[in-house]
Amino acid sequence: MTTQPNSSAQALTRLHRKGGPSLVLAMAAPFLGGALLVWQAWTLSDVLGRAIEGGEAAGALLPAVGLILALLVIRAALGALGEQSGIVAAEAIKRHLRQALFTQLLARSPRAADAPPSGAAASAIVDQVEALDGYFARYLPAALQAALLPLIFGAIILPLDWVAGVLFLVTAPLIPLFMALVGWGAQVATDRQARALTHLSGRFADRLRGLLTLKLFGREAAETAGIVEASEALRLRTLKVLRIAFLSSAVLEFFAALGVAGIALYVGLTFIDYLHLRASPLTLQLGLFLLLMAPEIYNPLRLLAAHYHDRATAKAGLEEIERQLGALPAEPVAHADIAPRPGPAVSVNLAGLTLRTPDQQRAVLLDAALAIPAGQHVALVGPSGSGKSTLLEALAGLRTAEGQITLDGRPLADWPEDELRARSFLLAQKPRLIHASIAANIGLARPGATRRDIEKAAERARVAGFAAALPDGLDTVIGEDGIGLSGGQAQRVALARLFLRDAGLILLDEPTAHLDAALEDEIISVIRDYARGRTLIVATHSLAVAGRLDKAWRIAGTSLVQTPIPSGKRGVA
Amino acid sequence: MKALLTFLPLFRQRSGALALALLLSLITLASGVALLGTSGWFITATALTTLGLGFNIFVPSAMVRGLSFVRILARYGERLVGHNATLKLLSDLRGWLFARLFPRLPLPDRSLRHGDLVSRLTADVDALDTAFLVAIGPLAAAILVGGAMTTILGVFLPAAALPYGLALALAGLGVPVAMVLIGRRAGRDSVAAQADLRMHVLDGVTGHADLVLLGALGRTAHDFAQANDHSAALRRRLGLVTTMGGLAVQVLAALALAGTLWAGLVALDAGSIDGPVMAALLLGVLGSFEVTSLIVRSTAKATQAMAAAERLVALDDMPPPVIEPVHPAPLPAGGAIALDTIRFAYPGLPAILDGLSLRVAPGERVAITGASGNGKSTLLRLLLRLADPQSGQVSIGGIDLTTLASHDIHAHMALLSQDSPVFIDTICNNLLIGRADAGEAELWDALGRAQLDDHVRALPKGLDTIVGEAGRTLSAGQARRLCLARALLSNAPVLLLDEPTNALDRDTEEAFFRVIASGTAGRTVILVTHAALPPGTVDRMLVLENGVLG
Repeated sequence: MTTQPNSSAQALTRLHRKGGPSLVLAMAAPFLGGALLVWQAWTLSDVLGRAIEGGEAAGALLPAVGLILALLVIRAALGALGEQSGIVAAEAIKRHLRQALFTQLLARSPRAADAPPSGAAASAIVDQVEALDGYFARYLPAALQAALLPLIFGAIILPLDWVAGVLFLVTAPLIPLFMALVGWGAQVATDRQARALTHLSGRFADRLRGLLTLKLFGREAAETAGIVEASEALRLRTLKVLRIAFLSSAVLEFFAALGVAGIALYVGLTFIDYLHLRASPLTLQLGLFLLLMAPEIYNPLRLLAAHYHDRATAKAGLEEIERQLGALPAEPVAHADIAPRPGPAVSVNLAGLTLRTPDQQRAVLLDAALAIPAGQHVALVGPSGSGKSTLLEALAGLRTAEGQITLDGRPLADWPEDELRARSFLLAQKPRLIHASIAANIGLARPGATRRDIEKAAERARVAGFAAALPDGLDTVIGEDGIGLSGGQAQRVALARLFLRDAGLILLDEPTAHLDAALEDEIISVIRDYARGRTLIVATHSLAVAGRLDKAWRIAGTSLVQTPIPSGKRGVA
Repeated sequence: MKALLTFLPLFRQRSGALALALLLSLITLASGVALLGTSGWFITATALTTLGLGFNIFVPSAMVRGLSFVRILARYGERLVGHNATLKLLSDLRGWLFARLFPRLPLPDRSLRHGDLVSRLTADVDALDTAFLVAIGPLAAAILVGGAMTTILGVFLPAAALPYGLALALAGLGVPVAMVLIGRRAGRDSVAAQADLRMHVLDGVTGHADLVLLGALGRTAHDFAQANDHSAALRRRLGLVTTMGGLAVQVLAALALAGTLWAGLVALDAGSIDGPVMAALLLGVLGSFEVTSLIVRSTAKATQAMAAAERLVALDDMPPPVIEPVHPAPLPAGGAIALDTIRFAYPGLPAILDGLSLRVAPGERVAITGASGNGKSTLLRLLLRLADPQSGQVSIGGIDLTTLASHDIHAHMALLSQDSPVFIDTICNNLLIGRADAGEAELWDALGRAQLDDHVRALPKGLDTIVGEAGRTLSAGQARRLCLARALLSNAPVLLLDEPTNALDRDTEEAFFRVIASGTAGRTVILVTHAALPPGTVDRMLVLENGVLG
């Protein structure tokens, strides 16, 4: 996926709006603080001048000292207000973006060839979005301050002392220029670092999935070394980014130090009459005021330098998100549950159908045809990898196909998504269980399913039996992928969902994998009973299953042919 | 905090670099304070000088410039050294965690989810990086710089020393401690909420097809939104703790500055202090509070670091499923595998194996069938010593498994399980996991025996084709056969096959069973299946029923 260099900058600008009033407050608060700062420095230098040069008594200066304290405290409060507003704005923006990204991900076809691995998707939505935090919470307010505050301060100082004013007004804008020169390579380095982070995260997710396999093959040492190696690669990349960031802030500090030292020297030399650039004599108060303001002129720029890489990080983060998940969505996609809708059986007609493997490299079906009348029970057989699963998924609208797929006399393309889901059910070959109780896993099939519905479904799928032996029965929490259950048990939990869907077209992919012969026989009887008055297509290797159905079709080469129903014993399909 | 101390040995390994970073940060801070102080003194002194010619301007102005540059260089060095050491520490930590994880497999905790693990290995480890840079470094710097400044005030302006010292101690110690106490819960919850968010994404991506098919996307999006809101709310709360901590430090600094100013004015009145010295002290006080702002920023991260450390230590605290022998016995070559009156039950469940005995001679091929869920896979787990039976003995060549090193046991037996994964990597690397030193000819041989060679040869990139998550570019059957090829490639004399033909069609299944008969000559095979086996596949067929073999 290629991205224009400016697209991420534009995306950042678009996201500003989601910050709302908090972002405005975060940007405005520092300016009020800046105004108070000038007042505070003026009062402080006034107090010192009057006490040291004018010899005034401490008691007379007490109100001024009180004012300084008050100004300091109010400025602190303003700073806190701005900071917290920045945090609130950044959280709102990240929340919005995460929601938009996740719902967009859900809206895509689950079988898209460019679907991101789950670890990379999680890294993009959780970690890379987090990378935007500093940009909105800190960089944006800092950037606005850096652009305006030095000029405002300079403009205030200019009428008081034109030399210092000119020095500030000239050096301050030069600094960002030098920083930009130094930071030239920062973006490239940051991009590489973001990619290395995604790589590391993806590697973790993948290797952790198969950790036990790695252990059994004695790969402990090699895998640990591999992780450390990936981590070290990330360190080197990160260090490159940091070196540039640190160098650019060192350049800034250099100029700021030159500025402060220059002011100190100018004021000192004027006092001892080496320099005569001023029309009127310089008072200690004004001298101290200039010295106090000198670091403050450069402070907004230093703040910007400290958060400068937040911008690069955010841009790289956005680009990495786009690389993994595609163009950034503007708004979250609305998703609604689709409840089952009872209705008559759905007939299936295929004509001139061409289907390709997920990677588009090979055609599994060429110009194939098939007709299944409503209510018929059909077995789909064929060698492994011949495309049985692909065909079932195409019928369920998960894969694109060339040619005609007609369901209930209507082309599949004319079926609205919600109607198709409400009327059909597909048990995929590797059904996923979520991390929740068995009951919740079954109840996923119908919004608002009652306990009674779930228990009945569990009974039918022969889940109730083994669940009764578990500590909490149907409420036992199982891990993702059914950890804690055997393969056959997990399969039956997924199958139980069928009985809640009330579908007119039932597509089952290897529903009896992992089951022994006796259980397989029981399950297929239950499925057949339930599927009376519904269309049923079962992809299977099992002759025992195929033998119990009305008709059988075989994928032979790249066509579909009707094949005699095998006799009802276990054997070759 | 206690959890953080667990990682002390790792920190110690990098102590040299960390000490250097601390030293550089001290130099930075001290020169910053001295710079402001010198400038204040210089200007005030020159203003009071009536005879311009009598004033030595070069020493103070050179000092101002020198201190500026020392500060710039020291800061640059501190940042680079500190970050490099921290990042190295992160690599150490990841390696440490992986090394700790392996002996604890298979993890007993059902609730420990995949996404949670990923979180622990990435985000939690990252959160720890600030533990040093934040907690230890700035704290030490605050104590040293604050102590020095208090001493100087004690000499020149004794009345200011106490209020200043108190304010700095509160800002440097009191505020961080309060922040930790208040923010710890939010920090812990926030880390957990991030992990939960990650879990939702992983669940949504891996289960995407099922969620679409079940029309459950509405609930999925809704659940994610809730986790998202929860995480954002916790982050805001954490942010508020930091903001308030920063505010408290600023107010304390204001009090210290106003107090020093007032004490200075009184002393000036009394003639006990010079004007220039007083200006220098005031500006020095202003500069010294830079160190406390650092502490606030780092304390905020420290609460998260502590929560992360606790989660990592919890992982480390999990007991390994079996205890390794201290002095493992050598693995006997070519001995029989025997299970003797085994009883095994999963925690809280009735015994799944009860009085089971089995003896498999070297080179023998045994099939075990039986109803699903009745302990066939458990039996293989016991053979691999992934768990110990409650009673009875598992042995190889008469040597009890508990006296052998697990590493030797696993090198002796290769497992192809129901859920052997295909890794996101090339086909070649996926195979090499079975045996790292295998040559290309051996790879093709293994692929051939798994009947996958034709398919791989037809791929444009052949062995270098990258196969996706859960083998997305392979069909389920092909992914299975790739795992089989990996097991066949290993040099293990014993092959344990757990439903190896699941999701293979009958033709391939039959052919595969024939491969077992011919291709595994000399190897012991224990095959768990409920498929019908062609005659001659195995020497013996056993049925597992009611916890025993018959």
